[in-house]
Amino acid sequence: RFSAVFIFSPKQAEVEETLKRIQTHKGVIGTIVVNAEGIPIRTTLDNSTTVQYAGLLHQLTMKARSTVRDLDPQNDLTFLRIRSKKHEIMVAPDKEYLLIVIQNPSE
Amino acid sequence: MFTDETLDALGVESLWRKSQQFAQESRGCQTWPVHTAEAEIQLLLNADNGTQTDPQDHLLYQLPFKGEFRPESPGLRDFLHRVEDIVVKELANNAKSHAFDGFDVNWEDPNETVSCIHCLQHPSAQEKGLQVTSISWSCTGSVIACAFGRVDDGDWSTEKSCVCTWNLDRRGLNPKRPDTVIDVARPVMSLSFHPSQPSLIAGGLYSGEVVVWDTNRTQDLILAQTGMSTDTHREPVYQVAWVPGPRRGEMVVLSAGSGGRVLLWTVDSDEGRLVLSAGFALVRQQVPHNSALSKNRGSSNVGVTSLALSPWDLDTFLVGSESGLVLKCSFSAQTLAAAPPDGESVTLRAPAQFSFSPRGGPVHSLHCSPFHRNLFVSVGTDGLAHLHSLLQPDPLLSLRVSDSYVFGVRWSPTRPLLFAAATGQGLVQIFDLGRKSLRPAATLDQLTGGQPVYCLEFNPRRKDLLAVGNADGSVNIWHLSTELTEQGPRETAKLEQLANEVAE
Repeated sequence: RFSAVFIFSPKQAEVEETLKRIQTHKGVIGTIVVNAEGIPIRTTLDNSTTVQYAGLLHQLTMKARSTVRDLDPQNDLTFLRIRSKKHEIMVAPDKEYLLIVIQNPSE
Repeated sequence: MFTDETLDALGVESLWRKSQQFAQESRGCQTWPVHTAEAEIQLLLNADNGTQTDPQDHLLYQLPFKGEFRPESPGLRDFLHRVEDIVVKELANNAKSHAFDGFDVNWEDPNETVSCIHCLQHPSAQEKGLQVTSISWSCTGSVIACAFGRVDDGDWSTEKSCVCTWNLDRRGLNPKRPDTVIDVARPVMSLSFHPSQPSLIAGGLYSGEVVVWDTNRTQDLILAQTGMSTDTHREPVYQVAWVPGPRRGEMVVLSAGSGGRVLLWTVDSDEGRLVLSAGFALVRQQVPHNSALSKNRGSSNVGVTSLALSPWDLDTFLVGSESGLVLKCSFSAQTLAAAPPDGESVTLRAPAQFSFSPRGGPVHSLHCSPFHRNLFVSVGTDGLAHLHSLLQPDPLLSLRVSDSYVFGVRWSPTRPLLFAAATGQGLVQIFDLGRKSLRPAATLDQLTGGQPVYCLEFNPRRKDLLAVGNADGSVNIWHLSTELTEQGPRETAKLEQLANEVAE
């Protein structure tokens, strides 16, 4: 008999620990990891909020990246920060993943 | 020579006819059950990844990240390793930074003034001297309905009244001519639009009846009514509201009257009837006691003058009574009411669970804060607004609203610290709890010559509109300034702080 194999390896533990370190930082409201297709694969928020953030920020990051590269083809996007009245959203982009962290800086 | 002889019979076998016995097949056989045992397994660990019976999420795909064991995404560890340092550095910098302190962006031109943009009247109702007893915005925010009746009448009234609606978004809006006028045989004391169907309005009458009107109909606008039966209230119905029913998507009408009954009605539109589905009776003996309650004689019923539903907890509701009691009640209370049965079709239950410190006179209005699950504000004839926490009997804060009665109070739907109160002197006082001073942030004079203001409602969709119903039969629509509608920074935090204070 063979079903899906979930292996709890040291690599997995490291991923969880890293996310936990980020999540417990001062003022952090939520952390989301999104894959290259815009689908969230890790989150600390509820489902509907996560899906909203993932979809919208994935699109925005792609647009931001193409803006930077259009302005200078030798350049590339390294980090995206959106500051709003209530909090700040930070996006760390990458080829395969996107890390979204929402922080309330005044807390 | 010739003798008799018998010979053995000879048998010749058939060549073409075969024995039927050979073509036998086993259709089934009964054997003992085979015992199996797991000797070896390839799984190290397994866990449930998702279930199909989860009713809440309407996601396009199941997100497989809840739970401890998840499918490993290749490269995730390396990615996090790469970005962790820079993210943590930015987070730390942000927490310390003062770069954006006091930095504000003007996306829209701020509206500095508060102005009355419409003064809606129904001349025939005004001629009869009817007052606006209740107003309600439709769920779309474009239609305002107002109920006419009398608040100051002590007698049993058989006066005809009406319910009028105006659509403020229509181009040809005539403030003196309502779009719909529903004639009602009795004064209407309370009104409530359906939260999702913009054409349904529920109303509570002075006679104790509850009616649901459908403004989509052309002929008879009554969709369902209770009629005068053994189930209906015997006293005026001061509050109606729509609450979620037992089935998903269904809404039932809640009505509360001065007879001490809080009843839930299901709408049976085929028969045109409101059928009683559950009921509560508030009886003085069953009120959880607070030491300050006075022991006055009188009817043992606790007459309900105001009711508030909690947007946070669907099971909780608050009740304000004629004698000044403020009670926290539960829809799921099981204790039977001590009221004598009066021929009702359902058994009445006693809903009161907790009693807040009583007021000096009838509690005219209660409202739960849409921004904090434990806060609510109550006003009554003593002219004070009490800010309460659901967790303790004494108020957190007491504000003097007016020297006369206060008839209505509502929290702002956009600013956590703001609420508006309607006074008997014809003013609407708007209080901002974020300010140091306890004086109102704004006062809206209804220009009714000192006649009371009975009700007020914020528009659920357009955050800058406030509707106010006056005793002279007019409804004023106010356009609020940006200061009163835009949420400031840290307002929710300040509200939280306020809620956590323990009254001394």
